[in-house]
Amino acid sequence: MFLAYFLQTGQEYFNVANLYKEVFMKVGIPKGLLYENYQPFFHTFFEELGAELIVSPDTNKDILDKGVKYCVDEACLPVKVFHGHVASIKDKCDLIVIPRIMQLRKREFICPKFCGLPEMVISSIPEMPDTTLEPIYAASNEKLFQWAKVTGKQVTNNRSRIQKAFEAAVENQANHKMGFDDRDTKLKVALSGHPYNIYDNYLNMNLIRKLKKLGVGVVTEEFIDDEIKDRETSKLYKKPFWSFARNNYAFTSHAASKGIVNGIIYISSFACGIDSVVIDLVQHNIGDFPLLVLKIDEHTGEAGLDTRIEAFVDMLERRSS
Amino acid sequence: MKITFPHMGNVYFAAKALFDDLGVEYVIPPLTSKGSLEIGSLHSGEEICLPFKIMIGNYMQAIEQGADTVLITGSCGPCRFGEYCELQMNLLNNLGHNLDFIVIDSPGDIGVKELIRRLGKISTGSEYNRLQKFKALLNAVKVVNLIDEVEAKARYLAGFEANRGQCKKILIECKQEAIKCNSGKSMIEILNHYLDKLNQVPIDQRKEPIKIAIIGEIYTVIEPFSNLYIEDKLMDYGISTKRMLTPSWWLKNLVLSPMNMNQLDIKKKSKEYLPMMIGGHARECIGEAVLAYEEGFDGAIQIFPMGCMPEIVSKAILPKISKDKDFPIMTLVVDEMTGEAGYVTRIEAFVDLLERRKDNVLSRC
Ligand code: SF4
Ligand code: SF4
Repeated sequence: MFLAYFLQTGQEYFNVANLYKEVFMKVGIPKGLLYENYQPFFHTFFEELGAELIVSPDTNKDILDKGVKYCVDEACLPVKVFHGHVASIKDKCDLIVIPRIMQLRKREFICPKFCGLPEMVISSIPEMPDTTLEPIYAASNEKLFQWAKVTGKQVTNNRSRIQKAFEAAVENQANHKMGFDDRDTKLKVALSGHPYNIYDNYLNMNLIRKLKKLGVGVVTEEFIDDEIKDRETSKLYKKPFWSFARNNYAFTSHAASKGIVNGIIYISSFACGIDSVVIDLVQHNIGDFPLLVLKIDEHTGEAGLDTRIEAFVDMLERRSS
Repeated sequence: MKITFPHMGNVYFAAKALFDDLGVEYVIPPLTSKGSLEIGSLHSGEEICLPFKIMIGNYMQAIEQGADTVLITGSCGPCRFGEYCELQMNLLNNLGHNLDFIVIDSPGDIGVKELIRRLGKISTGSEYNRLQKFKALLNAVKVVNLIDEVEAKARYLAGFEANRGQCKKILIECKQEAIKCNSGKSMIEILNHYLDKLNQVPIDQRKEPIKIAIIGEIYTVIEPFSNLYIEDKLMDYGISTKRMLTPSWWLKNLVLSPMNMNQLDIKKKSKEYLPMMIGGHARECIGEAVLAYEEGFDGAIQIFPMGCMPEIVSKAILPKISKDKDFPIMTLVVDEMTGEAGYVTRIEAFVDLLERRKDNVLSRC
């Protein structure tokens, strides 16, 4: 079988190192930060390249503890948790994917911690395997391909294979749908915040399940389109330069002014510089529309959180009846 | 129109020279103090960074003295600073102050035309012609370069001076005299005079002082109040300090960056540890740490405000540099709760460590 493989792929593979790389490469994918958002892209890309994927488990206590142990104190919880995910799989793989996401839309930025993520992790966690380092500019497919070209090389030397893997990855990503849209529930809230705070159920202590249990529907940012976002953010003196800020500001503004929901829950983490600004902007914009800001870190107690959610829901019920 | 602006180290000298020469009315906010910070914190969001709060304090104190227009620079790359003006405008409007903001932003975001229009707004109160306005600007740039030079020289020589405390005295006197001037030209003269004076300070050749580089977030390293006057303290211990980030550096960087000619050495030095521009001045911080080591400094102190995103990344990387190069680096995180006592203890302990290391090296050879 190996022989056939040789003949088929041609000369490049007479190099033993390459063969090893191709057949046995184990690529680790940490389930932290924007993993949920770009899961199909990364999975497809590396699978198509022929790598074996090692995906870290859902966030759990052990991962959180590891993250807190390795990461700088001052960092926010999501970044600490990301460190934990890396630490949990680092000994099992040859290459770890640390997405250095620089840009998602033109002339917008994302958090500095994303831009320096590989360096943070490499400097903080001992005995790291190789990692991906290439920056990701996802404003267009051409720019994104730059990442694929460089990163693909870490796995295979076969260029056409990289090209194909990239195309498949982009296609799968395009079909990826996220978000909640319970607009037809009687009582519902707009759930706003960074995707990892919304989708990581360990981080947010099962917030969504808690809300559903209380009979509250959840609506997330995904259901409003770009046009509405542009319209909403044009009210600002300066156009926001973080993609996150744009999404959350526009979403909450739209949800509140159109009365799509009964209230807004903004889930955030302590020491998040971006949220500190966005929450201020949101508050200023929506006036006295009900807003609950939940801030979490590794010390947040679940009981306290529950009480606050229940009190908020009670208030919404009273207002709507 | 009465213009004011937030404090940032020696910027107020240049601003005074500029507005004097333009003949526009202005208010220099009282030097940043505990009072400014208290007012600022009272009105700002709790988790917003320290520079924001202090700036609000500056505005409020300037408003009390009749200011009605605020000059502020906008974007500085992917960091909160770029969003400051929006929040600050909201905040001050909510408090019922009807302020005009002149936001100087990068031409890439607002277009060259708009930039020129906004710059023009500053000098609307001025009766002078274009040439004079241009000269005023030129003088202001000279002032900021000179005052930064005086300051840097005094801080560095402090370790070598034969008479303890002389440099500090000259520096204090220089600032007192300079701020009394009523035109850019006279201020430049004064600054040159003091620069000469510093050049004549008697030096003790046998001295081998401890040398420390001050690195970190640009506002907190430049604005002395926000770092609890660390440079003055080190000066008193007879330590030479160097700091690359200054208002004049910032200006030069701004002018050169569109041509990509800025800080070639910093880019080179930081490459191994942080090859990207990530926002704020994290890359500078890393590059300066490496540079300080190569220039034979004894250690570096990183300062940043609580929650500062880019500097948290640097903080994660610095220990690696420290280990690779056997170069001590200490981090000080400042916020409005920073207590003076604990802070001083940490600085002293660090200085002790550097002294011990130095003695060891000396006795070994
Ligand atoms: S955006 Fe906020 S929560 Fe996300 S990584 Fe940056 S600081 Fe942390
Ligand atoms: S660099 Fe730090 S202090 Fe400056 S705006 Fe950004 S987070 Fe705030």
